[in-house]
Amino acid sequence: MATKVKKARRAVVVGGMRTPFVKAFAEYLTLDTIALGTLASQGLLEKLNLSRQHIQSVVWGGVVLPGLAPNLAREIALDLKLPASAEGMTATRACASGLQAVTLAAAAIERGEADVVLCGGSDSTSNAEVKLPQKVVHALAPLAFGKASPGDVLGVLAQLMPLSEILPKMPRIAERTTGEVMGEAAEKMAVRNEISRRAQDELALASHHRAAAAISSGRFDDEVVPVQTPEGKWVHRDQLVRATTSLEKLEALKPVFSKTGTVTAGNASPLTDGAAAVLLMSEEAAKAHGYTPLAAFASWAYTGVDPKDQVLLGPALAMPLALERAGLTLEQMDLVDMHEAFAAQVLSVLKALESPGFAKTRLGRDAPVGRVPREKLNVHGGSIAIGHPFGATGARMVTTMSNELHRTGKTHALLGICAAGGLGAAAVLERI
Amino acid sequence: MSDVLLENPWARKAITSLGLPLPVPERLLRASSAWEERPLADEPVAFGAAPGSALVAVVARTLTAAGANPFVLGDTAAFKAPGEAYGRPAKPLALDPVPADLRPRGVVFDASAIESPEGLRALYDFFHPLVPALARSGRLVVLGRARGSTSSPEAAAAQQALEGFIKSMGRELGKRGSTANLLLVEKGAEERLEAPLRWLLSRRSAFVTGQVLEVGLTAKGTATPAWTRPLEGKVALVTGAARGIGAATAQLLADEGAHVVCLDRPADDEAVSQVARKLKGSVLLADVSDDGAAAAIAKALKEKHGGVDIVVHNAGITRDKTLARMSSELWDQTLNINLRAITRITAALEKGVLRDGGRVICLSSIAGIAGNMGQSNYAASKAGVIGYVQALAPALGKRGITVNAIAPGFIETRLTDAIPMMVREVARRLSNLGQGGLPRDVGDAITFLASPGALGVTGRVLRVCGGSYVGA
Repeated sequence: MATKVKKARRAVVVGGMRTPFVKAFAEYLTLDTIALGTLASQGLLEKLNLSRQHIQSVVWGGVVLPGLAPNLAREIALDLKLPASAEGMTATRACASGLQAVTLAAAAIERGEADVVLCGGSDSTSNAEVKLPQKVVHALAPLAFGKASPGDVLGVLAQLMPLSEILPKMPRIAERTTGEVMGEAAEKMAVRNEISRRAQDELALASHHRAAAAISSGRFDDEVVPVQTPEGKWVHRDQLVRATTSLEKLEALKPVFSKTGTVTAGNASPLTDGAAAVLLMSEEAAKAHGYTPLAAFASWAYTGVDPKDQVLLGPALAMPLALERAGLTLEQMDLVDMHEAFAAQVLSVLKALESPGFAKTRLGRDAPVGRVPREKLNVHGGSIAIGHPFGATGARMVTTMSNELHRTGKTHALLGICAAGGLGAAAVLERI
Repeated sequence: MSDVLLENPWARKAITSLGLPLPVPERLLRASSAWEERPLADEPVAFGAAPGSALVAVVARTLTAAGANPFVLGDTAAFKAPGEAYGRPAKPLALDPVPADLRPRGVVFDASAIESPEGLRALYDFFHPLVPALARSGRLVVLGRARGSTSSPEAAAAQQALEGFIKSMGRELGKRGSTANLLLVEKGAEERLEAPLRWLLSRRSAFVTGQVLEVGLTAKGTATPAWTRPLEGKVALVTGAARGIGAATAQLLADEGAHVVCLDRPADDEAVSQVARKLKGSVLLADVSDDGAAAAIAKALKEKHGGVDIVVHNAGITRDKTLARMSSELWDQTLNINLRAITRITAALEKGVLRDGGRVICLSSIAGIAGNMGQSNYAASKAGVIGYVQALAPALGKRGITVNAIAPGFIETRLTDAIPMMVREVARRLSNLGQGGLPRDVGDAITFLASPGALGVTGRVLRVCGGSYVGA
């Protein structure tokens, strides 16, 4: 395979498994991100029939971290009853956290730090902690942590006025630097890149139909493990996929972020709970344990764009960079899997990749990166249909693409993820 | 400095509601932070060009990279690639009528290809419907060909006509806080247009109006502009940095990444030290009129900073008296500080201290252009500065060094505060914008001239005067 860098050691994907993805504040209400991560990992270890004693390390991605146990990886390792020596670290890189965890694991293996690493990511938006305003924390601190006199108590009351300032704020997925909600950013990108409502709805429709087909054909059974909730209810499949949606139904939805806008609940990814786990091994270890490796990373790349400009355009720069590092071209990719934060964002990125002007000005290249044929793009649907537990998406994509390369005999898959802060993430997977 | 008509809302209201025949000056939009990647972010800018223009490509790149949403008259082909690169696709500009919801921040017309009096009609056709739609604190920029780049007397006439046009537009637009300027581009210097155009369209040129700025090839090198922190790694010397324009300029240069050496007289130690501390620069105490000052400054810059990249000759004084009543001391002091110090210090820095690619900016004055009652000494020194930069620019051009003069008009400083109230009030209003400028307006112009992108501008006099009626 024509990768630019020949690595002495190679990390290979042995398998991946995820929980069904579920709408936030629904079935998984009582399962937090650690529990979800543990369930996905358990499913994976059972599927691979791997003894827990072999796992040396856990790398986990998450975005909404529990304040009292932010190192998800270690908690998952402990809950899984891995050996005490199986250390854990948690990576957070907004929506690219899952891919980040997997590539960190691959890097550790390739550097010779470990042979068997469990990685992945999870998020439970349902269990996001509602923060008390800092004003309340500061006002109450003397009462909670010190010896308070009656005067102090009265002083605290005075400090808490007016009441409107001490009510907990609804968490918003907004950019810290711009205060812009992601949907507003997507709306802006749709206008600036001239992405029509129709094109967005069509992409969303394909996402739902392809995901539905993957479920009904049993294709996702390879990588989705049913979950029993603490209430005893079983969840067998992704709950957000709508097999019966149609262009008419999507077109009927009202825009959410602007009256004259084009971004709707139908062409955006929903708030989701879920987890995805991937097992990486060194090529030698996989052989020794008797596994057939599915795929390996030819390259990966992370980069950033100005969040004040087009915050979700990152993949348009990260994907060419990953291809360059792999010594491959977009044309050579058999599959392209892009995280669908918003249809408008995916279409903006695709448009940039096709543009000679973009290539020349932003990438310093004479020719455009290329066109992604729709039949290669998100062959089993994407985040719009399946859902997007922030930390899990990258690991889901690695699993689906590794399985796809292995099953079809195709050679290369390109992954692209946009993330808050203007981040772009990409990776090239190659079949082994 | 207090301009009642600008700062007191009651006074503003009283004048408008009583219908007094006094123009209430517009509060100008000024930049509030350091240079940005996209100073025109999401601002609509209308653009048109006379047929056959050679500047469309660079304008397209400038506008889209600066974050503007371009509305383009006629052919949009040149805007396609940059539009895609920056997600700023050009939209067709309708003039008959201009849509009611289009309030462009800037209107730009490329008149460089106009070579006949008939061709000038394109100016009327473009601006006539657009000018009423221009936003407050808007920007009108016309692009033309530099003197000597024209092919015939007829073409020269057409190009010179642009100057009368923009000066009149400056007069007409001033009461809304908008400016009008003309950029003349020498053949072959097209690539150097980007930074000046970007600056003239930005909020950093709020007090520059009715001006003609030539962009040429005199200084050698390539203009590789950095749009944010353009002065990173540069050492700048600002004379007279203790207060007023000098202090404002020092701060603005420091905001863009320069290490600023703040120079003032030993007597102003405290004030200049405060300025230097605030912007994390250095202090250099010297009296520029001393005979040994030039050598001492050169030595200090060489030893402590390894050289200097930007020199701002700002120190200056007024010693006003009509010539008949002026003592020779007043004459000597003024000429000494305002002119002789500049030539001597520059000469001392030129060899071995001022680095290649450097920038020399000298403070002139509109008094140096127009002359002024009681200012024969001051006006002579400030006119001398103009002669100096014009002669020095070609000499230093081969080293990529630019030399320019800035001619401030009425700027609200200690100098203008000393003017008797009635005279001051009249002087303030006698300009397109009907108000005095702020020290930072001059500083913004100096910072632009000091930036790498301003390579094309050398040997010029840039007036920062709000379109003053004096000498224009």
